[in-house]
Amino acid sequence: MAPPQSQRSPSPSQPSGKSEVSDLKLQLRQLAGSRAPGTDDLKRDLFKKVISNMTIGIDVSSLFGEMVMCSATSDIVLKKMCYLYVGNYAKGNPELALLTINFLQRDCKDMDPMIRGLALRSLCTLRVENLVEYLVGPLGSGLKDNNSYVRMVAVIGVLKLYHISASTCIDADFPATLKHLMLNDPDTQVVANCLSALQEIWTLESGSSEEAAREREAVHSKPVIYYLLNRIKEFSEWSQCVVLELVAKYVPSDNSEIFDIMNLLEDRLQHANGAVVLATTKVFLHLTLSMADVHQQVYERIKAPLLTQVSSGSPEQSYAILSHLHLLVMRAPYIFSSDYKHFYCQYNEPSYVKKLKLEMLTAVANESNTYEIVTELCEYAANVDIPIARESIRAVGKIALQQYDVNAIVDRLLQFLEMEKDYVTAEALVLVKDLLRKYPQWSQDCIAVVGNISSKNVQEPKAKAALIWMLGEYSQDMNDAPYVLESLVENWDEEHSAEVRLHLLTAVMKCFFKRPPETQKALGAALAAGLADFHQDVHDRALFYYRLLQYKVSVAESVVNPPKQAVSVFADTQNSEVKDRIFDEFNSLSVVYQKPSYMFTDKEHRGILEFSDELGNLSISVESGDSVVPAQRVEENDKDLLLSTTEKDEVRDPGSNGSAYNAPSYDAAISQPLADLALPSTGLTGQAPASSLAIDDLLGLGFPVGTAATPSPPPLNLNPKAVLDPGTFQQKWRQLPISLSEEYSLSPQGIVSLTAPNALLRHMQSHSIQCIASGRQSPNFKFFFFAQKADEASVYLVECIINTSSGKSQINIKADDQSSSQAFSTLFQSALSKFGLP
Amino acid sequence: MLQCIFLLSDSGEVMLEKQLTGHRVDRSICAWFWDHAISQPDSFKQQPVIASPTHYLFQVFRDGITFLACTQVEMPPLMAIEFLCRVADVLKDYLGGLNEDVIKDNFVIVYELLDEMIDNGFPLTTELNVLQEMIAPPNIVSKVLSVVTGRSSNVSDTLPGATASVVPWRTADPKYASNEVYVDLVEEMDATINRDGVLVKCEISGEVQVNSQITGLPDLTLSFANPSVLDDVRFHPCVRFRPWESNQILSFVPPDGQFKLMSYRVRKLKSTPIYVKPQLTSDGGTCRLSVLVGIRNDPGKTIDSVIVQFQLPSCILSADLTSNHGTVNILANKTCIWTIGRIPKDKAPSMSGTLVLETGLERLHVFPTFQVDFRITGVALSGLQIDKLDLQTVPYRFYKGFRALTRAGQFEVRS
Repeated sequence: MAPPQSQRSPSPSQPSGKSEVSDLKLQLRQLAGSRAPGTDDLKRDLFKKVISNMTIGIDVSSLFGEMVMCSATSDIVLKKMCYLYVGNYAKGNPELALLTINFLQRDCKDMDPMIRGLALRSLCTLRVENLVEYLVGPLGSGLKDNNSYVRMVAVIGVLKLYHISASTCIDADFPATLKHLMLNDPDTQVVANCLSALQEIWTLESGSSEEAAREREAVHSKPVIYYLLNRIKEFSEWSQCVVLELVAKYVPSDNSEIFDIMNLLEDRLQHANGAVVLATTKVFLHLTLSMADVHQQVYERIKAPLLTQVSSGSPEQSYAILSHLHLLVMRAPYIFSSDYKHFYCQYNEPSYVKKLKLEMLTAVANESNTYEIVTELCEYAANVDIPIARESIRAVGKIALQQYDVNAIVDRLLQFLEMEKDYVTAEALVLVKDLLRKYPQWSQDCIAVVGNISSKNVQEPKAKAALIWMLGEYSQDMNDAPYVLESLVENWDEEHSAEVRLHLLTAVMKCFFKRPPETQKALGAALAAGLADFHQDVHDRALFYYRLLQYKVSVAESVVNPPKQAVSVFADTQNSEVKDRIFDEFNSLSVVYQKPSYMFTDKEHRGILEFSDELGNLSISVESGDSVVPAQRVEENDKDLLLSTTEKDEVRDPGSNGSAYNAPSYDAAISQPLADLALPSTGLTGQAPASSLAIDDLLGLGFPVGTAATPSPPPLNLNPKAVLDPGTFQQKWRQLPISLSEEYSLSPQGIVSLTAPNALLRHMQSHSIQCIASGRQSPNFKFFFFAQKADEASVYLVECIINTSSGKSQINIKADDQSSSQAFSTLFQSALSKFGLP
Repeated sequence: MLQCIFLLSDSGEVMLEKQLTGHRVDRSICAWFWDHAISQPDSFKQQPVIASPTHYLFQVFRDGITFLACTQVEMPPLMAIEFLCRVADVLKDYLGGLNEDVIKDNFVIVYELLDEMIDNGFPLTTELNVLQEMIAPPNIVSKVLSVVTGRSSNVSDTLPGATASVVPWRTADPKYASNEVYVDLVEEMDATINRDGVLVKCEISGEVQVNSQITGLPDLTLSFANPSVLDDVRFHPCVRFRPWESNQILSFVPPDGQFKLMSYRVRKLKSTPIYVKPQLTSDGGTCRLSVLVGIRNDPGKTIDSVIVQFQLPSCILSADLTSNHGTVNILANKTCIWTIGRIPKDKAPSMSGTLVLETGLERLHVFPTFQVDFRITGVALSGLQIDKLDLQTVPYRFYKGFRALTRAGQFEVRS
């Protein structure tokens, strides 16, 4: 929970806040007892000032007593302002809140139903636990009030009461009263509020009480559902959404029931409120899941209303509906194939809408509309919006891969290559490569064009890799392939992408088997450069090729350049199970995120943990690093976004703690970067390498046998189950001097993996380094780690600030045992550097 | 279930905070949101649904004001977005426009409204009519009234009849000296014309807007001469479904005042009222541009407020454009606006000139898209026509008025 507002100091931007508040206090006090005419107007002005201060964020909770004293009034606007104020601060001032109970209870018996309702609502929003006893009476009479407005407020009041004190609510037997109201009240808003309140209460109760679970099931029973459905037209549009949500969970007993429900609800599809339309759609889709043919018809039926909603709503609404349409289109593209024009992008639509539309266009393409869709997509390639231009070229490529008749599309793609825009060329190259993997018969046409592209004009790694792949694969058809490859090999050191270098190695090999005399020189240079490469994969592959060639050239050829089968289907990125999950959660956030809810609501996936109040103070003492930011701000941010992991992890991970292996010497070795790996490169001429070494490399272990030869650092073993409570950490951090402060860079993969900070925590834990607190203030991540020596109580404390934009991390280490802090630093560094690497 | 609603000004300041449930959402979420929004590229700034580290955020952006709602539980996203849109509409209506000042001046009313519109995260009522009865809008009339009567409250004492009425959208018993109903057909034409001058897509989305001021509880029927042109329709909750299904007749008890009775869509139109023909020819570092505009199918009424607008590609260093009709303006952000106004009968407006490309660039690779704007009053281009409007149940004579208007929506011509 976030800290209550009252504890927060006023923000520095309002220096006058303090004196103004005391000024207001004085004035309110003067007015409190006055009965002179015109007092109400004066009060109203003062109340307005108080509330505007509250709105800006100034803490005016100190006025609580005075506000309550002034609240004896008949003016309804004054009352409302007072209710608002009281509701905001009561939680922080439970004793003072008691003062308000009196006048609120009196208002609950007012003649005017409006005031009764308002008072009851405010009474329930106080949310102070020791006042619940005063709630039961007014709520009980509110539920029996003859005015529906009061009943409506009372029903929600019961829910609020339940959240403050569940037992009081259950003891007063409110759920049963609500159930009675739900089934009998003439006012539909009351019914709807009962329904949502009961659903929430019973869902929360069902864990502990069997009766609640039974009641919860009973809401889904036929009589209740039918009762609600028959009255659905009387409900307000929002209540209709609640009812429809419930109906979607109902399982009808037979088909005629399904058709009855659908007939009854059909006109809801024409409702002006998009939320109602979507909720109805969900009911239809779920009811007909078991009947394939009717399910099809449902798609046909809901198509038009959804498309209308997309074109007539505000941009925000159409985005939400478009996300749902996207889901449906992906499930049944053929039904939408004649509506492809609806998915054409408009010039000034936001990119995320365009992206959805492009995906849908790709999905609905079939024999009859491909030509038009591809023509349209090609126009986007000249678009001002470069990411979308790229997306649309990719879309053309995807369509080409899913169609049988790709004649026209290949021409288009080749035109892209001639467009002389670097990003267009880059995307097109990648596509041509994929296309050739599926349709090798097009190689002649493509190669003619690809051959004209100078490798110097291609900069993007993916595109360059694609070009190199084609050079290798079709070197027999491209006259200058060996020479192009040779010039690329000459510039080996300038090539920063490991992917490109890997492809280059393979391409040179392939070329060598096809045109040995011309390529021999390039191959030698490539293998030498590859062996000297500092990237593990490149090095391994070069070594592997080298040994293969040494063993037998014909075997090498059969490994590197076997006859290939055309790829028939490219793997889908999202598996069908996930898609089905999303479909089950139709009309929810899952659809917009394109992830099933468990992937973002579960703590595991969300990457955030509960706020922790006691850890909130932690960073106050250590904010020296953030001196640029005003101290106030840091405090505020850290309070809210500081996450605690310790307790959680301890509870959750007994298993992982057990399996967390402790291998510091192994860690230290990797930080000696591959010194001896360069060995073979010196002797390309052919010294027989030890076979065991080769096998190690083949298996991709990447740890040379020669490790033992490297000078090992002083052994430092960490306790994998170190425990430190936050208080001790804080205390120690304050006492100890910084013994070591270093900065180093993180691998790009590591930065990417940081999007889920928990991954880092788990990673560090596997190296016996525990996290005690973490927080984020974009672009910086801040972590506090600790570790303990295996054999003694000496601990190391680490503050680690990772800047995601520069990829640098700043480490401050404090240690009980200063002498070993350097060894610990090495250990920490090696652990961190491996984060994100496979 | 929404947990909190914030209103942010266009500088990111929190103007209003309304906590809805027991879980208090800390204000720092707004700071997070604002940092996030600023760090996004332009076209992602207004993404309606965002996942923050602690909450899921919905945002709706209207007239410089961001309506931000937070939740931590799964809920229908459209419900949240739709609700925020309604909040924006209601506030706009209440305050006579939306901007920072008007919200700050009237924050008490905004609080009161939000209080009635949503309780504990569940939307209650967003019907303007009902709300207006519970909370009087801050207009001059009510100010005068409060001075005259000495009552300073802007809240009525009685509960609105509509909350208990069978027709929730209608005030129980309005009284008017003159009874009037105005029906407007407002259509927007969305069209896309591709590089080869082919009409790729052309459709109309229209609305039937009604302003009804009738005493009592009137029952109206509205019928069209040619309902078959409509492809898909959406109705205000007041419209009865059966008569439409069987006879394509709109039968309804109207809300009081202005409301949107129905919205519809007409697909696959064959032609546009005007043509816009851009031509770009590149040669040796310069590009010659000419745009011709003219009437293609005379709709019978004058075509007014014609504006052609396009974004010059970033690779263009300078542009020299002149027109034989109207004015050409090039703004600092390289947006070129050609304001034509009314298309003259005797000559076709044209704009021409040269664009100088960046040095080293021979030809233009990025082609601008021309966005066209126009208005035609007095005609609905979809061809939809109102046949008649009848009033039942109330024995008054009343005045009926019909109007039609077509304007360009997303009308774009690619070059």
